[in-house]
Amino acid sequence: MTCLKRLIFCKGAQMKVSRSFSAPSTSCRCFHAELVRHDSRGLPVVHHSDYVCDLPPNHRFPMGKFPRVFHFLLKDQVITEKQMWIPQIASRDLLSCVHTDEYLNNFINGTTNEQEQRRTGFPWSEGIVKRCRYETGGTVLAAEIALQRGLACSTAGGTHHAFPNFGSGFCLLNDLAVAAKFVMDSSSPRRKVLIVDLDVHQGDGTAFIFKEEPSVFTFSVHCGKNFPLRKQQSDLDVSVEDGLEDKEYLSTVEAHLPWLLETFRPDLVLYDAGVDPHWDDELGRLRLTDQGLYQRDLYVMKTVVGRGVPVAAVIGGGYSRDIDKLALRHSIVHRAAAQVWRESGM
Amino acid sequence: MEEDLDNILDDWFIESIKIYKDLHVYQLENPTQVLEWTSGRNVCVAGYTSSSKNEILELHLPLKLLADKNKGLCAERDFKVVHGGFADGPVRRLRHIPGTRCAVTNDGHSSSLQVWDLGGDDSDVIRRTGSVEGGRTGSVRGSRIAARPSSQPQVLHGAQSDDVRLTEITSGRTVYKLEVDSSDALSSLQFVTDSIVVAGCCKGSILVADIRSPAAPQVCCPPASSAESVLWWTDASASSSRLIRLSSCGQAVVSELRMLGGGAVCQAQLDIQMRGSDSEDVVVSWAPALDDCIAVSGFSGAVQIYNTSLWKSDLQETTPLFQHRGHMVSSQQPDGVLTTAHAWHPERPRTLLSAASDGSVHVWDWVNQSAAESGSADPPT
Repeated sequence: MTCLKRLIFCKGAQMKVSRSFSAPSTSCRCFHAELVRHDSRGLPVVHHSDYVCDLPPNHRFPMGKFPRVFHFLLKDQVITEKQMWIPQIASRDLLSCVHTDEYLNNFINGTTNEQEQRRTGFPWSEGIVKRCRYETGGTVLAAEIALQRGLACSTAGGTHHAFPNFGSGFCLLNDLAVAAKFVMDSSSPRRKVLIVDLDVHQGDGTAFIFKEEPSVFTFSVHCGKNFPLRKQQSDLDVSVEDGLEDKEYLSTVEAHLPWLLETFRPDLVLYDAGVDPHWDDELGRLRLTDQGLYQRDLYVMKTVVGRGVPVAAVIGGGYSRDIDKLALRHSIVHRAAAQVWRESGM
Repeated sequence: MEEDLDNILDDWFIESIKIYKDLHVYQLENPTQVLEWTSGRNVCVAGYTSSSKNEILELHLPLKLLADKNKGLCAERDFKVVHGGFADGPVRRLRHIPGTRCAVTNDGHSSSLQVWDLGGDDSDVIRRTGSVEGGRTGSVRGSRIAARPSSQPQVLHGAQSDDVRLTEITSGRTVYKLEVDSSDALSSLQFVTDSIVVAGCCKGSILVADIRSPAAPQVCCPPASSAESVLWWTDASASSSRLIRLSSCGQAVVSELRMLGGGAVCQAQLDIQMRGSDSEDVVVSWAPALDDCIAVSGFSGAVQIYNTSLWKSDLQETTPLFQHRGHMVSSQQPDGVLTTAHAWHPERPRTLLSAASDGSVHVWDWVNQSAAESGSADPPT
């Protein structure tokens, strides 16, 4: 547990902490942040205005949702501006722990071929590179904050279809993998990370990346008939049928999470709280309600925090043409996190 | 291989998000050759197996699809079967009588028609209420059917050109007969107005008649074609008074209905493979709400949309404006699946239904790529 009480914040540079009272395993206390909020007592929320970029006209990806999530959290007074942490852009070094040099070269320089771009769903642009790197940086920062504070959320993240050497399904970099790797390797002995991926699509990229890694456990609950049809093998896959509703879905999560925590004993949980299991999601084939999503997020975070394990949440996937409706749906995890924060006296 | 197919499907799924505004994929137990709108939201399908019991179903498409907001881009959003019944024998043609809950079917090898009550709010059963006798028996291709647009339930039907009659459904009385000497197999029959009918012959000639007049129908010869023994399919557009004829070797010819003797307006060589003798599945149709556009299906597992305003007077190759490849992509045997029917939505410009030999039925609304590229389409929400 940390004893850090007061610290000045500085923009731009990676902030090094001068003193630490914590155990040797957490001796390096740098945050990958442009803005840290050590003086804020509320739930830390990670957000960056560069989570968005311009897309070609008529492009179907709901890019506008990222700023709207943050907007609604402020408007509904779930959080105040003071709780907003700003991430740094993910460095090439950070990314290269997961992605191949060849892929990173092509990705950063814009030399991916048309076939590769088609599979991602995005045409290449400098803007898309920047926003993906900030998004990844955001997930890394949320993980770092969670390790210190116990709980943190990003207003983006969950790009779990990215593999080491290619992107897929609107995912160009695997933020969860990068964050898990970073957390795992930045301490000695290595930390154990549990990735709980409740997006309606299987976290295939993440599953592949950590297939042989004993320190990272990938757990995915997804709809069998949703993309990708070509599935990878997570450490634990739970494939559910079309049309599953709140009660049964929650039972499914409840059946696995506690014993996973008990047996794997992670040092951190990364939680992908995708809202695409919602009945109104245009791509997802399940039938959760707003209430169902809220109960799910509350259950996951309460259960993890209740065992003294830090958790960092990302918004995951959601697809709808009504951006505001979608953003409100994504903000459910932050609201649930705020409740857990309050009730746990964090 | 299973994995390869999964990979192809995954690629196509990502692609489809870009090229379709809406796409819904359904699977029927048995394939249909019939897609007939009975309202803006309900459509009839029917089986054509050789067994004695084939289902006729009226499907209610999801509200989401046809609402302006919250459009779907997800496979198998539920459609509901609202009415169903059984036919003795295959159902190869089905026509809904406008303004009624009545439909008329034909089995594709006899000349008689079956009359059905599609059911109302109180019943979910489609039941047979009678039949309409055709002309001579033993016709190989079965009768074509056209429903008169007006409120009198009358149906135009026949398998051969000298055999076409207009029958009052309730009484069975023949109201009109097409007076023609030659006996040519028909590939289409339709009303372009309440009283003008167009019959398309398989050999490519066209008959146009006014059913109020005793005069003989106007005959228009087949289009000039270099190939021999081709089959022709026809569609006439009521709104634009244009006629399209498509041959089994892919030649498509557009003419003015009112000036059939004046030669073709334009033509093109379509990007399709030549079909053999099995011509049951080919359909060509004008878009009711998208100027100059036609849809073509039945040559492969795809449905192709062409813009005829780009065609010239001399025969040149042309490429489709859009290709719906959904049936091929999701089939276990991409080369084996054939589209069996398609139907434009009566009002929505780019919405179509399509059916294929593997029992799949798709409803789709494609993105106007050229508008998308120039940025003049709907702004992203």
